Amino acid sequence: MKITMRHLFLMLYASLFVSVLVGILVHIFLHPHAHFWWEELPVFSAIYGFIGCIIIIIGSKALGHHWLQKEEDYYEKH
Amino acid sequence: MVIEWLHPGLIFILGALLIPVLKGKWRQVYLLLLPAAAFIDLILISKGVFGSGPFWQLSFMGYDLIFGRVDRLSMVFAYVFVIASFCMILYALHVKEEWQHVAAFLYVGSTLGVVFAGDLFVLFFFWEIMAWSSLFLIWYRRTKAAYGAGFRYIMVHFFGGICLLGGVVLHLQNTGSIAFESFKWGLGSEYLASYLIFLAFIINAAVPPLHAWLADAYPEATVTGAVFLTAFTTKSAIYVLIRGFPGVEILIWLGAIMAVYGVIFAVLENDIRRLLAYHIISQVGYMVCGVGMGVFGTAAGEMALNGAAAHAFCHILYKALLFMGMGAIIEVTGRSKLTELGGIYKYMPITFWLYMIGAFSISGFPLFNGFVSKTMVVTASAMWHYSIIWLMLEGASIGTFLHTGLKLPWGAWFARDKPVCEAREPPKNMLAAMGITAFLCTLLGVYPKILYNILPYPVDYVPYAPGHVVAMCQLLLFTFVAFWLLRAMLHGTPTITLDTDWFYRIAGKRVIWFCEKPLMAFASFIDRNVMRMAVFFVNPFFPLVVKFVENPLDKAFHVRLPELLNFEKIHDKIKQIKVRELSYNLIYILLAMLLLLLFILFAVVME
Repeated sequence: MKITMRHLFLMLYASLFVSVLVGILVHIFLHPHAHFWWEELPVFSAIYGFIGCIIIIIGSKALGHHWLQKEEDYYEKH
Repeated sequence: MVIEWLHPGLIFILGALLIPVLKGKWRQVYLLLLPAAAFIDLILISKGVFGSGPFWQLSFMGYDLIFGRVDRLSMVFAYVFVIASFCMILYALHVKEEWQHVAAFLYVGSTLGVVFAGDLFVLFFFWEIMAWSSLFLIWYRRTKAAYGAGFRYIMVHFFGGICLLGGVVLHLQNTGSIAFESFKWGLGSEYLASYLIFLAFIINAAVPPLHAWLADAYPEATVTGAVFLTAFTTKSAIYVLIRGFPGVEILIWLGAIMAVYGVIFAVLENDIRRLLAYHIISQVGYMVCGVGMGVFGTAAGEMALNGAAAHAFCHILYKALLFMGMGAIIEVTGRSKLTELGGIYKYMPITFWLYMIGAFSISGFPLFNGFVSKTMVVTASAMWHYSIIWLMLEGASIGTFLHTGLKLPWGAWFARDKPVCEAREPPKNMLAAMGITAFLCTLLGVYPKILYNILPYPVDYVPYAPGHVVAMCQLLLFTFVAFWLLRAMLHGTPTITLDTDWFYRIAGKRVIWFCEKPLMAFASFIDRNVMRMAVFFVNPFFPLVVKFVENPLDKAFHVRLPELLNFEKIHDKIKQIKVRELSYNLIYILLAMLLLLLFILFAVVME
């Protein structure tokens, strides 16, 4: 069977679901030792990963666009 | 007296001498034998065959030089340097230029010299050779960009070297000792020696704002040279920081800032190896942070120091693998920008998958080596209850996966429907080197005990706790979701990113212009008038004398001097030096080192 993008996406959705589910189960049954209050939330890492990634992309792009990115021959010209 | 110990660095340094003599297959076999011999030497040392250190102590002008301080800390670093050098030289085996290999081995050997140095003089000696020999790995690329980047690279390292030398001399004056132990730290002028040495160390560790040399120079190096560069300078700096400044609090913050800084800049990069170079800075940030948290005698401190050493170990392997993967693309396509790449997966699937093992490792996926080491540092920050540091380090993990695991492979191998150019798998030796490195990354991830057993302190840490594993999986999977949604924003753009090297690239130019133009004009104006006045007071009746005196002086100071100090001319002259001729400089360095080593051997034998 040829693996298509559809299969890959199904696998992705499945693994997202499983990771969240296992996260909740681990928190209910194993009570891992938490150092910070947010570690008590079973899906904290998922939310942090998602939001953190968006912030990194948009924040850096804004920084680059308005300030740091220059044309390639910048140092030759200046 | 028999030789009581064999310095593994000496195997590389003396071994490098024979490389130009050998040809063809013999040279290739020989190149692989040297790291193998050094590895056997290390095994013998760890088994206690030579007894316990320190070795090769000799008295020099009333000071005790120690070339062989052997303990658990130096051995961890020595192991990984030697193992990595084997993979790297295998990757570079097809390179015909013998002097590139000589430079690489001098670089490896001098780094091992730093690792085993028990006193500050020996440390300084090898520190400088490290800077010099690595420079040639950049210059051998033979491009204008490589020439300029190499020049800036060596200037920064000279500055670092001078700081180190100044610090050592001051330290010697203050304490009367040249032993390389942890330095006193505090606020006040009496700690100046420590500050200078600290400055030299963090320059080599590429701590912002002193990091620009790394992202500037590494991507300009030769394909195989860059792989060497990723491992030795920054990680030997971590080693000396662990030795000299464990538990210095400012390092915690510098490290966390580094981790995030590298990530932010990597978003903006278009050059594939420069993007990875920013991730070196980011990853070394974890180690620097670990050193800062490494207060002796506390459980969290020992965890942090173990974490720093373990992460250095793992980082050297996966970062070499990543640079090998991107180097392979440059080798076969000649292109190094994301805007000029894409769609070439079908030509080089093996390289892609081997690269991805490196990417999974650096991102800290469970079952790969980054996971077993990075989480030690993050856990140490939790044990110390540094909440912001913890969040910064975890956030940097997101960015790491985003760039090295998603953006870079996506942009280089996929991203377009049709391939932008022809490509093929790289030479077999390159693939073999990548294969071995990938195997090691996975081995350490699956069986971390091998690594934990050789760390400086006893390890009481279980990486595969269910909570850790599931949290990391969530973090990385949801990073992927965000990447997929925003992937259109992550296409490369044909730009460069300004960094702190701007100060010496632009401001430096302006300072030189200021000296040459307005300052010289002002000086000549003052000179002229002072002279007129002087002559007038001495002999007011002969203003003609003024003309007489002025002309030759004018010629001397205002024509000859600027000619001598004509920076453009000096610059042009240096430019005319051919890289081929630079190899003669290597001979001088080799000869100087050889003389010193002979002297040491002589001294040891005489004892």
